[in-house]
Amino acid sequence: MPMPASARPESGASGLSRIIDAAPLVIFLGMLIYIGFNAPNFMSFGTMQLVLNQSVPVVVVCLGLSIVVMAGGDDVVSGGIDLSIPATAVICAGIIAQLVTNTDTPLLLAIALALGAAMFIGIVAGLMVTRLGMTPLLTTLALFVAVVGVTKVVTSSRRINVDDPFIIFLRDGEILGISAGVVITLALVLVFYHFIHRTKWGLNLQAVGGSCEAAEISGLKPGHFLFWAFVIAAFTGFLASFFLLARGSGSSPGTENNLMLEMVLATFLGAAFSPRRVVTLWGAVLGAVLVAALSIGFKTMGVNVFWTGLIKGSLILVVLALAALSSRVKS
Amino acid sequence: MSASVLLMQDIAKTFPGVVALDAASLSVRPGEIHGLVGENGAGKSTIIKVLAGVYHADDGTVSIQDTPVSPVTSEVIHAAGVRFIHQELHLVPHFTVTESVFMGQEITTRLGLSRRLMCARAETFFRDVLDVEINGDILIRDLGTAERKLVQIARALIDDQARLVVFDEPTAPLASGEIEKLFRAIRRLKDRGIAIIYVSHYLSEITDICDRVTVFRNGRDVAVLDKVDENCANELIKAMVGREIDALYPKSGHTRGALVLQAKGLGDTGYFSDISLSAHSGEIVGIAGLIGSGREELIDTLYGLRPARTGEVTLHGKPVRFSSPADAVARGMVLVPRDRRRDGLVLDMSVSENINLASLEEVSCYGIELRNRARERASRQIRELDIRPDNPAIISRQLSGGNQQKTVLARWLATRAAIFLLDEPTVGVDVGAKVEIYQLIENLARNGAAILLSSSDPGELIGMCDRVLVMMRGRITHETSAVGLSIDQLVAMTTGASTQNSAEGHADAR
Amino acid sequence: MSIFRKTAIAGLLASVVFAGSAFAGEHLSLSGKRIGVAVVGTQHFWDREAFNGAVATVEALGGEVMAVDGGRDNQVHADNHDILLAAGVDAVISILGDGAVEPKFEALQDAGIPVFTVDHPSPFSVNNTTSDNYYMGTTIGRYMADAIGGEGKVAVFNAFEGALRICGIRAGLWKYVLADYPGIEIIQPELAEEFANAPEDARKQTLDLLSQYPEGTLDAIHVGCWDQPAIGIVQALEEAGRTDIVVTALDGGPETLEIMAEDGSPFVANVAQQPNLIGSTSAMNVARYFAGETLLPQTYVDVLPVNGQAEAKAVYAELGYGTLD
Repeated sequence: MPMPASARPESGASGLSRIIDAAPLVIFLGMLIYIGFNAPNFMSFGTMQLVLNQSVPVVVVCLGLSIVVMAGGDDVVSGGIDLSIPATAVICAGIIAQLVTNTDTPLLLAIALALGAAMFIGIVAGLMVTRLGMTPLLTTLALFVAVVGVTKVVTSSRRINVDDPFIIFLRDGEILGISAGVVITLALVLVFYHFIHRTKWGLNLQAVGGSCEAAEISGLKPGHFLFWAFVIAAFTGFLASFFLLARGSGSSPGTENNLMLEMVLATFLGAAFSPRRVVTLWGAVLGAVLVAALSIGFKTMGVNVFWTGLIKGSLILVVLALAALSSRVKS
Repeated sequence: MSASVLLMQDIAKTFPGVVALDAASLSVRPGEIHGLVGENGAGKSTIIKVLAGVYHADDGTVSIQDTPVSPVTSEVIHAAGVRFIHQELHLVPHFTVTESVFMGQEITTRLGLSRRLMCARAETFFRDVLDVEINGDILIRDLGTAERKLVQIARALIDDQARLVVFDEPTAPLASGEIEKLFRAIRRLKDRGIAIIYVSHYLSEITDICDRVTVFRNGRDVAVLDKVDENCANELIKAMVGREIDALYPKSGHTRGALVLQAKGLGDTGYFSDISLSAHSGEIVGIAGLIGSGREELIDTLYGLRPARTGEVTLHGKPVRFSSPADAVARGMVLVPRDRRRDGLVLDMSVSENINLASLEEVSCYGIELRNRARERASRQIRELDIRPDNPAIISRQLSGGNQQKTVLARWLATRAAIFLLDEPTVGVDVGAKVEIYQLIENLARNGAAILLSSSDPGELIGMCDRVLVMMRGRITHETSAVGLSIDQLVAMTTGASTQNSAEGHADAR
Repeated sequence: MSIFRKTAIAGLLASVVFAGSAFAGEHLSLSGKRIGVAVVGTQHFWDREAFNGAVATVEALGGEVMAVDGGRDNQVHADNHDILLAAGVDAVISILGDGAVEPKFEALQDAGIPVFTVDHPSPFSVNNTTSDNYYMGTTIGRYMADAIGGEGKVAVFNAFEGALRICGIRAGLWKYVLADYPGIEIIQPELAEEFANAPEDARKQTLDLLSQYPEGTLDAIHVGCWDQPAIGIVQALEEAGRTDIVVTALDGGPETLEIMAEDGSPFVANVAQQPNLIGSTSAMNVARYFAGETLLPQTYVDVLPVNGQAEAKAVYAELGYGTLD
């Protein structure tokens, strides 16, 4: 069916849709200001740094997920999504911890093996989705379960301490007075940003996700970009594993579930903050930091621990509902 | 200068069971706008796809600038300077104009994308080549449809290598006010020496913009007009249609009963506006119109699938407001949808289950389906409609298109509704099944049902209907008795070439 | 049980403790102090009770509570200590947790915030309040050995012996006792239970174990450090009709005491802790610390050995969980 003439938005967005567009940001800023006035020490350099510190692993996996969403389109069911990234992060952490602590393998060799495992997962996901045409949501969910299973075998489902100086540096080190993890993550975000938004390859990847047909007409191969998006996503899982090891001073079983939840929330929340209303790198990063800030804020305010989950979940539903409402008002 | 920029000769293409092209030829001279017209299935899009390298011709030759091209692949054709402007826009809504224009051919430096340079080039292109001002940083979704079309054109032409541009139904998504913008751009391209193939159903546009026209019918080029003006519309229609109404239709005059369905001032932003119509018991009312004329949306609105923004509908004199198809069905109005595979049939259910789907209350007792009653009912319908094979338990997917359509009809016949909305009831159905479906529709009317028949087949409308409403760009432009109406006249009305009523529909998209 | 009722009970218990200590001539107060309470999770009875006991007592002593819950994720639990640090609380009570919290304790100590742990001995904590884990480990070892007649094959769920010191004590001493029974063999490799979803996970692992060890080749299943997996183990034994196999575990929460109290239950021995009292005692220790008293590194809270159905019913009543018939 040809595109109906009504798809043409009338001169500028209407007042209503502009209000709806601004609402998520207003709600979040409002919440943060409220928390700032009510939570002791919240508006302090220490807390800000804490927020950044705690959001580091989520930010890194969000980079991977946003790239997959950009390459595959933002339809949650049929579009691009990769739920296996947290599992990749956890298995890499497990491999490194197990080898370094329990078998005295040199750190570099352990890292190389972890990287190999991550690439294997990325390639499998990429091939299954692009070559076999499997649904990304189900494929990567199954991969998540499988990889977590293997992680349990590798670590015998036990906690393994790691005291390698490099990992300790990521945890406690500082660069220019700012936590090393935060600085390194910021550098990662900048590198990814350049790669996705400032290179031909990155722009083409976004085109493929935005409209598969448009990209094909322009001579681009959608499968190629989607495949590499999955590989890059697995790579971000590998990178995140270092921050997981640093944060936990080792590998603890069970960290993947929370990481996956926060990754998905932050990434799709980020879309509500981006001016183009699509998943972007900065949006995802901002989403991850805001989710961390809110949850720390609630804890600092002493909100009953039994209620925090409900408040967080409702806020996210509100933001997503507003995004859905905004696109309805526009059409 | 060569005599032709494109010469396609004796192109043949056969699909299993269908001859799509049969020694068809097409010749385009340098710097001309060449129209390509024909009814649905005449072979227009097939020959364009052969040129694009999507289909490989069984026979025939293609030459560009007098150089034979073989094999015809999309790469070779692109290198030879042929560009295609598809009917669909295929743009990424959240990309900027610049990003869209340069998609796949971005300009980069060692540091990455040169956004500023690309933006400047895109804006210059719009200004110099297409004669419009478009800001390169604006998002596609903030553009009007006409501007989006121009972005699509810019994407095809930005590399400055184009010699021949094929426009496939370029005005289909545009409101009439926007068409002139597009035409101005197309004429500018012509002035720059670029040849253009213009494929369209709208004969008024063809006569307006084209220098020469080739008419296709039944897979061949049946006429070439070397001189085009407003007066040659009739000549075009004759060449396109070339047949009389055949004896497929059982029509034998109906007794018009009480007024059943009436709509006043019905409108939905951007799709149709100010639609008033009525249907009486025992009457078949046809709705004609090209794809995109608002015909499909109107039917969906009447049935409650889409909300109406303005206007009202009365049923048996009482105002009604359907918020869902279930409301419509409850009030005795049913729809046989155009895409039966998607909307009409549950393909993995048995024929019996499909037939009884809409009348489960009658075959169930306190919510429990009475299997025997259901099966008996289905068997009766299968016999009456001659659905083959006549096994109620067979899975619907295994039936032919015609028998699937009859299953959908059977379901609604089983409901004994008072009003039937039939949307393209015979698309993709073989002739034998068509005759049976026509007979069924006729029987419905004789039994006192009011029927709205929306169709793109002019013969079907004239053959079946008592009255025909013609829609164009979202409005009813003609209302006429089907008696004595010729196919030529009806085609002229739907394509905007009619002289009988010069008030061409100006759908207000606002 | 509603949250309100639970808090009411906790408050009651706390006031009993408070009254008790007041009777001893102490005038303890946390008035004007903000005490961070970090708990690894509140899904399981033990964790929740220890948490409730600590919170209720801090409040009863006039202190303000800032509570953080790790949602049964050791990583989140560890991170929560950073929040307490940033919020600048006066002291931290940290309940359970694995090695990931150690660096956090160190950071708190560096910032001058005293850390009081529950069931987590640490060089950075002022005081660790815990049950007498040594007594628990040896007692359950003796009871189990008696229950299988001093010989046979034993499977053990023992995921945390290496990761948590208290589990090292409990499982280690259990093994120490068994070393004197040459007829008892611990099946290798030992089983590792999941932390977050223990009962269901243990049920599946037990079913696998039973198919591996047919009738007559397995005599007991022991849970080395707690009792949640035992719920799933008993389920699996009943499903497979193998209730001849003896089950033992530690902690003695109400769910497992109820299972023990059933007729013909394979769950024969347990050692019950008093989690609410432990949490409450830890909070009292905080107050003692601020009152300038010198605390010993470990405070032991009494445990109640449970051997057989009758004792299960008695202990259930004694701990105030209700009555079982």
